[in-house]
Amino acid sequence: MPITTAKGQGSPWTFLWEIKGVLLIFSLALYFYSLASQLEEFSPPGQLGPAFWPKLSLLFLMIGCGIKAGETFYSRRKKSAPEEQTSVSPPANFLKLGVMIGLIILAVIGMETIGFLLANFLFLILFMRVAGVKKNFPLFLTSFLGTIILLFIFVKIVYLPLPRGQGIFNDLTIYLYRILHFI
Amino acid sequence: MILLGLVIGVLAGALPGITMLNAIVLVLPFTYLMGIVPSLLLMIGIYCGGIFGGSITGILFNIPGDPMNVPTTWEGYKLNKKGFVSKALGMAIMTSALGGFFSALIMTMASPPFAKIALSFSSCEYFAVVFLGLASVVVIGTRSIGSALISLFIGIFVGTVGMDDIYGVPRFTFGSRIMETGINFVTVLIGLFAIGEVLDQLSIKDKEAGEVLRTRPKTQLPRFGELWALRGTILRGLGIGVVIGAIPGAGATVASFVSYGVEKQVSKHPEKFGTGVWEGLAASETAINASTGGAMIPLLTLGIPGSGATAVMMGAFLLHGVQPGPLLFTKSPESVYTIFIGMLICNLIMIITGLFTARFFSELMRVPENILGAFIIVFCLIGAFALRNDTADVWFMAFFGIMGYFMRRYALPIPPLILGVILGPLAESYFITTMIGEANDLWVFFRRPVSACLIFFAIGLLLMPMIQSIWKKKTDPAKAQ
Repeated sequence: MPITTAKGQGSPWTFLWEIKGVLLIFSLALYFYSLASQLEEFSPPGQLGPAFWPKLSLLFLMIGCGIKAGETFYSRRKKSAPEEQTSVSPPANFLKLGVMIGLIILAVIGMETIGFLLANFLFLILFMRVAGVKKNFPLFLTSFLGTIILLFIFVKIVYLPLPRGQGIFNDLTIYLYRILHFI
Repeated sequence: MILLGLVIGVLAGALPGITMLNAIVLVLPFTYLMGIVPSLLLMIGIYCGGIFGGSITGILFNIPGDPMNVPTTWEGYKLNKKGFVSKALGMAIMTSALGGFFSALIMTMASPPFAKIALSFSSCEYFAVVFLGLASVVVIGTRSIGSALISLFIGIFVGTVGMDDIYGVPRFTFGSRIMETGINFVTVLIGLFAIGEVLDQLSIKDKEAGEVLRTRPKTQLPRFGELWALRGTILRGLGIGVVIGAIPGAGATVASFVSYGVEKQVSKHPEKFGTGVWEGLAASETAINASTGGAMIPLLTLGIPGSGATAVMMGAFLLHGVQPGPLLFTKSPESVYTIFIGMLICNLIMIITGLFTARFFSELMRVPENILGAFIIVFCLIGAFALRNDTADVWFMAFFGIMGYFMRRYALPIPPLILGVILGPLAESYFITTMIGEANDLWVFFRRPVSACLIFFAIGLLLMPMIQSIWKKKTDPAKAQ
């Protein structure tokens, strides 16, 4: 039976599309629930065991997903005017978002491989460029000074052993630290 | 340290993209080399200052720094448009400081006796308290129960990852050594709040992130007579702020909205609310800062963070070896009294800091959002790495950052997840300990009076939205639709 809703909302597929996030969370909860069930073999006799709490939380998570799906279903039925269905957040530029997320992931990989100094400098340049800083001189100056100041604070003052990178990059970072009098 | 904390807090609250929570998280690496006392004072300063800071952008530019500053913005910005910008800023500073100061006094007086009672609690009562905290998160401060439940139970599940404390069994580690130590909740905090917010702000379509604000605010404190005229409003805001702040899960946002709503109800001219009235501004501001003292009571006496902000504060305490809870009053009294004195002084100094930093804001607000965002992410990377000098924490932080973005986009509330990560392991530990001791007898929670009362109160809170909905339908069917 088709869902009786406002215009453009008649198909159950559109409802399923609306709750795609909820369905994803529900599926993951179900998967982890099956994993948690495997922990029951570690339960001492007469005790709840290590599987009890994760299973309980996942069960309630699935119930939460059901409630959310129900809320979405009833809100669809209530809504009659299209203007009521305004988005919570303003529209996003998904290309820009994807690049920014990619840069964050690359920054973490870079910290491990080429060291914090180089990774941070490159990350600042690229991220600020993607975020909309157009002029080259302020971009490079901010990234350069920012990296130096951060290194001074965390390496020289706080003595935080920020990653130096692997192989040649480790040697390069040490060389740059020496030039900057950080070690 | 208090002064420095206040300046950082107020700036963080006022700057776009940074909240007081972010500021506390970002200064954590700096506090590693400090002693406990200066670290606590610094964080208290940021906490109190940050709570107030968001009101400045609200009053000046109609941009609330935090959801809690929304009612302030409704009235403050309208007062600004009416030409009372200096006075509105001054009123916000003064009422915030008054609310914070008196709530700190209440906290100082109420915490020690409360801690004595708390010392007689067993794991049974502790579970009931944590359960109340979890129930409050679901009910208060969110419009969708389903979303809050999803967020909360994701948090509780995340808290189960790693080695089980009671049975010593690795859970959901997939054979990874890094996963065995569990997911540090600071990485969850940093990721969800800071990275998620930066991504959300900078990815908005057609937004000019390099835009620079040019307005330079000034402040003018209200005269005694003007404050006296608002004494009823301030007292109501104080009471609401302290009580709501003390309920785990409620926090400053709920206090601010409730106080504003109550003030509107008791006002002789409720129709003028929203057009720029001093009562609305004072009610909201007093309640916001009054909630700080209230929120510290359950944190200090029970080790239960009452809000997202106190959850971060608790994380900071734990990092410095201070374990909040009733034993804190006997084991580490110097930390307790540092917090008491710190909060009292903090709210007094806030008046001066607020006055002098207002002009400073305009200069810092000139830092374009796209540059600020990049540096926030770098601070987060360092902050996560500094936890255990391990890039695994940076990976966790990045993962939760991306997750934080999608939670914002899909309107999943973040505070329940944070409290779930923090309260979940506590709840599990207390529950399993009680069950082992009581041979899996669930009725023990209802046989002990304190735990029974707390659990019934929690159940009442869980049923509240349903009761409200039925009540609305009965009294005003049209409005309920």
